[in-house]
Order: sequence, then structure tokens, then C-alpha cells
Amino acid sequence: MLTVTGQVGCRAEEVARIAAARLGFPLVTESRLEAAIAEEFAPAIPDKAYRDVLTSILARLAAEQHIVVSADGVELLTSHFPGALRVLIVAPERVRVGQILLEQRCERADAARQLKERETRRQQLRRRRFGRSAAPLETFDLVLNAESLDAEQMAALIERAVALRGFHEPALLSAEAEAQLQFQLRLRLARHGITPTGAPSLRQKMFAHPSEEIFANLLDYYRIPWEYEPRSFPIEWDSQGRVTLAFTPDFYLPEVDLYVELTTMKQSLVTKKNRKVKRLRELYPGIQIQVFYQKDFENLVFKYGLAERLTPA
Amino acid sequence: MPHGELPPGIERVLFTEEQIAARIREVGGEISERFAGRPCLKLIGVLKGSVFFLTELSRQIRIPVKIDFLAISSFSSKPGAPGLVRIAKDLDDPIHDEDVLLVEDIVDTGFTLRYLLRTLAGRGPNSLAVCTFLDRTSKRIVQAPVDFRCFEIPDRFVIGYGLDHHQLYRNLPYVAVLKPDSQRS
Repeated sequence: MLTVTGQVGCRAEEVARIAAARLGFPLVTESRLEAAIAEEFAPAIPDKAYRDVLTSILARLAAEQHIVVSADGVELLTSHFPGALRVLIVAPERVRVGQILLEQRCERADAARQLKERETRRQQLRRRRFGRSAAPLETFDLVLNAESLDAEQMAALIERAVALRGFHEPALLSAEAEAQLQFQLRLRLARHGITPTGAPSLRQKMFAHPSEEIFANLLDYYRIPWEYEPRSFPIEWDSQGRVTLAFTPDFYLPEVDLYVELTTMKQSLVTKKNRKVKRLRELYPGIQIQVFYQKDFENLVFKYGLAERLTPA
Repeated sequence: MPHGELPPGIERVLFTEEQIAARIREVGGEISERFAGRPCLKLIGVLKGSVFFLTELSRQIRIPVKIDFLAISSFSSKPGAPGLVRIAKDLDDPIHDEDVLLVEDIVDTGFTLRYLLRTLAGRGPNSLAVCTFLDRTSKRIVQAPVDFRCFEIPDRFVIGYGLDHHQLYRNLPYVAVLKPDSQRS
């Protein structure tokens, strides 16, 4: 397991995303972990149980494959993952203030104040969930400075560090070690009344349509985090309350909290899909979804010169 | 027709030279008001499309301005092309502690603007705002903050006043809609 975390305003997830792509390892982000927790345990986990829940999920994933994890506090789970490579991204305050300035559309003084507030909130949350607000510096194997290195350079250094550590050589977390760890964790979680209901996997899904792969390529190029079909929304139930129809949008962009549905199909099917989207919006008013129709997609393909990537379906 | 016969491939004029000049005057006034009292405003143009707009806009701003340019790589599937967007031509000078106005020709999906803003924000400006000549909000995928805009445009392919099709038409003094047939050529 490779963990990439950072100070507030360091864009650690972007570095993790590029490093994961270079290494060919799946990326586990904060939002992906939240979805896995909701699917496997419950949508809301008490802070005291969070550490065990997180460890349980990561242990299973790390037993399946090498993973890159970028989620707050993951570097604090040191004892259970002795082979992990831990990376910390740091930057001077003025660089980190710049990111807040951009997000909040405010001026520097206000951004500096907000940075402090975020840091305080994060420390408090970590203390509640992990029992400590920060990991000692010696926890990390590699510390990178985002002021002097851009995201690609940092990812390249991480890739090199992984190669030097022989990350591809040693075995994953063994099945026995995982089973033993899961047993201990489940015992502790049972005290909080928490039992797992499923076991979601990170195994990559194949894209259902070439247009989806093109869209994913475009998002990758512009360094926009995405997840493919991460969640299904029930939209119809029978009289017994069983789900009879669900809708799974193609993409989720966690950074902007937006679902994207690509519809490059004939009009009769588009009408059916439009009805599903309408129903989704009615049932889940907090969900933001944007539908891309054939014409929208053609324009994107045209604008970004992606036509040669579009193979016949 | 104010511009005589239209060049081949053009469907219609969307904004005339006079409309553009008038609107840029207004936006220049808004920017001057917003940044009144600041020692200087740095305009950063994104090459190549924003050159014409930035030139005229800078003339309409009534506070001292500095000008710099950057360019970013274009997406390409050709072998050897970068797999990630990156700065192809960087700024000549730092922007630390400066009030910065990023000047774009057009914002649509928000992909490019998001990348540029994140890059510039890390360089310690005092403030960072965005002015775009054209805004196609209907195409937005990633929300990107636009502080000043001259025109919101429909979902059509437009050219002129810096905007190109295969590097042509940038020098048209107006903004026009390209015929759909010409887009595929």
C-alpha cells in the first residue's frame, strides 16, 4: 500500500492520482472510501469506530492488489500495514493559502484565516477518529515540497521510490494476515453494534461504451478526479419495498460533487434515460447530475481532437 | 451586412465589431471599479486566443496594468504527446503578492480554467480573478469561477476575435458561427 497525504491545501490527491496512473495501481480516495464504508458497514460510522472500519476495508483491498490511498488520517494506521510506503506532501503557508484563495474567491488575509480554521477542524476530527491529530514526521518514508516540485515531478519521485523499495516484488498483505486482522477488527466493531453487510471491491470495471473511455481520458488529461459508476440509485420499488429499478450514472466527479451521464445512443433510448434522470432528480434533490447527449459529446470530441480515439462500437 | 460578404464556412455574425467594442468598454469599467485603489493589476493572457481581447481590454482599464502570457499544452493522442495538461509557455515574471486577472477567450467545460487557476493559486498572488470574452455556460462540466464576462454564447462553434478553427479566422474583427459542415473539414 502506498499512502499519499498532505497538509491542508497541498493537493495531495492530485499527486496520488498521477502516481497511481504511472504505477498502474488503483487509487482509493476519500470519497471512494466513504462509499465503501457506506456499502460495507453503514452510511454513518461513530468516530470511535472509524479507525477500525477504515483498517478493515484497506486490509481487504491491500490483500487483493497494490493500492494508492489518499485519504485523511490513513498514514496514522501504521501498525497494521508494515510494508506500506508513506508519502507526505508539504508546502509553505503562502502556497497553501493560494489554494484556499482560489476555492473561496477571497483575498489572502481571509484565505489565511480559513486555512487555519480548516487545519484546526482537521486536527480535531483526526483526534476523535484516530486518537491523535498528526503523525510524527518519522512516520513518513518520503516528504515532498509542493513549492519546488509540481504534481508530475512528485509523482515521478514516488514512482521511483516504489521501484527502489521493490514494491512490485513482495507479496501483498497475506490472506492469513488479513483474515486474522479482520477477525480482531470485527470483534471490536461488534462492540459498537457495527457489522458488515457487503464487501465492495475496487476491481476495475470495463467501460460499457468507447465514448466513456474517451471521456475518462479527457478527464485524466485535465487532472480531474473521476470514478466510474460508483453508485446506483434505486428509483422504483415494488409493493414490498424491494428495488425494481435503479439508475447508475456513468461518472462521478468527487471534486465538484457531480454525476455525469453520457448518452450516445438513439433517441428512443434517450427518452427512456431522460425519464430515469428526471426521477433521480425528484427522489434525490441533493444529487447534481449532468447529462451529455450525442451532440454534446460530438462537440467535445471535435473540440479536443479526440476523434481518432473513438473506435467503432 | 456590416462586414460585406462573409468568408466561406461562416454561417452568421454573432457579435459585430461595434458590439464587441462597446461591451469591452463596459467590462473594462467594471474591472477598473473592482480594483480601484490597487497599485497595479496584472493581466495574464492565455495564448493564443485571448491576445486580441486582452489587448483591447487593457486599453479600457483605468488603473495601471502589467501584462504577461502563458500557454498550455493541447490534448493529442499522437505518440509522444503529453498525457497530462501542462504549461507549455510559462509566465515571464512571478505573481507573488500581485492582484491577478486571468484573461480567457472562452470558457466552456471549465477544464482548462480549473487547471490554470489551480496552478496560479499556488504561486502566492494577492488575489486571483477571471475575465472571459465568451462564456458558454451550457457546456460547463467543472464549475469554474468567472468574475467578468463580455458575452454568454449559445451552444455553437464560434470563431473570430481570437478564436480559431484549425488556427484560421483569429483575425476576424467580429465573432461568427461556423457552419456545421465546415467544422468537420
